[in-house]
Amino acid sequence: MSLPSVDEHAQKLPLEFADEHESLKITGFWMFLVTDVLIFASLFSTYAVFHNSVAAGPTADQLFKMGPVLLETLLLLTSSFTIGLGIYAMRKGQVRALMAWTFLTILLGAGFVTTEIHDFVSFAALHATWHTSAFLSAFDILVGTHGAHVTFGIFWAVTLLFQLKKHGITERTARKIYTFSLYWHFLDIVWVFIFTFVYLNGKLG
Amino acid sequence: MSESEQSITVDEAYEQDNDKSIKFLRPRFHAEAFPTVQIFGYVGSLVLTFAAYFLVMNHVLPVLALLIIILTLAALQAALQLGVFMHVQEGRGMAWQIIPLYLVFLIAFGMVGMSIWIMLFKSGVS
Repeated sequence: MSLPSVDEHAQKLPLEFADEHESLKITGFWMFLVTDVLIFASLFSTYAVFHNSVAAGPTADQLFKMGPVLLETLLLLTSSFTIGLGIYAMRKGQVRALMAWTFLTILLGAGFVTTEIHDFVSFAALHATWHTSAFLSAFDILVGTHGAHVTFGIFWAVTLLFQLKKHGITERTARKIYTFSLYWHFLDIVWVFIFTFVYLNGKLG
Repeated sequence: MSESEQSITVDEAYEQDNDKSIKFLRPRFHAEAFPTVQIFGYVGSLVLTFAAYFLVMNHVLPVLALLIIILTLAALQAALQLGVFMHVQEGRGMAWQIIPLYLVFLIAFGMVGMSIWIMLFKSGVS
């Protein structure tokens, strides 16, 4: 039997998977995300148990304002879209477009964190801090852990922009951008569950 | 730029290292001239988010029914993000990440689901 002939239309492996070692790091990053799911699952469980234990403090319904929450949701969903388009541009080899989409993602992420910090400060002004009740302890640690992830992601993306500027799209930088996009979309998924199970659930009463 | 170094194809990588009996781990890539899938993913996530929002803010159903519906919408949106943006079916050779993902979703669903379930009995106690 002869070797299969080379198909002219055979699909090329994207650059981030082209090097075996770099590709292994993507699989490794998936393993990290899997463990991160466990962290958030624990925090969601804690919140599920304590979200009605308000002590003398405010209830979720009294505390949450949906305006800023909708804004945060919109910012994060859009940033997930922009980094998705960044990966699309990266696979076409368009380094400037990739950098522009990454930069836009950073701006949207910064807008998210700013809105969230503003929200937390306004809660603190109402003496609704994590000392107040079990509900607020669980709320602050869950939403705060997510916010800390997003903040870290912003700094990470800034370092990637410098690397893209210096090296362009290589097997190594492509893998780094790809793992960053996985991280960012993962945070978007976590936020969707925070939006649903914390904020919307709080309004169910 | 590095197009020339990139000589290996999806099928070659698949042939190189895998157990061909595990069909669902076979990677699938989609390449398109226009980011249709991404736009579909974005619009889909917006629709799901605002559907959940309006259902809750207008209190159209009893509380427990609403909670189940909005959690289902959130799970759908997670699946959308994973499929569209996270390229969960992509990999070199085999998409091994799918197996631990199934496992961790099972654990997370069990842990959070059981916590929600057990707290449903609280009103009868206190």
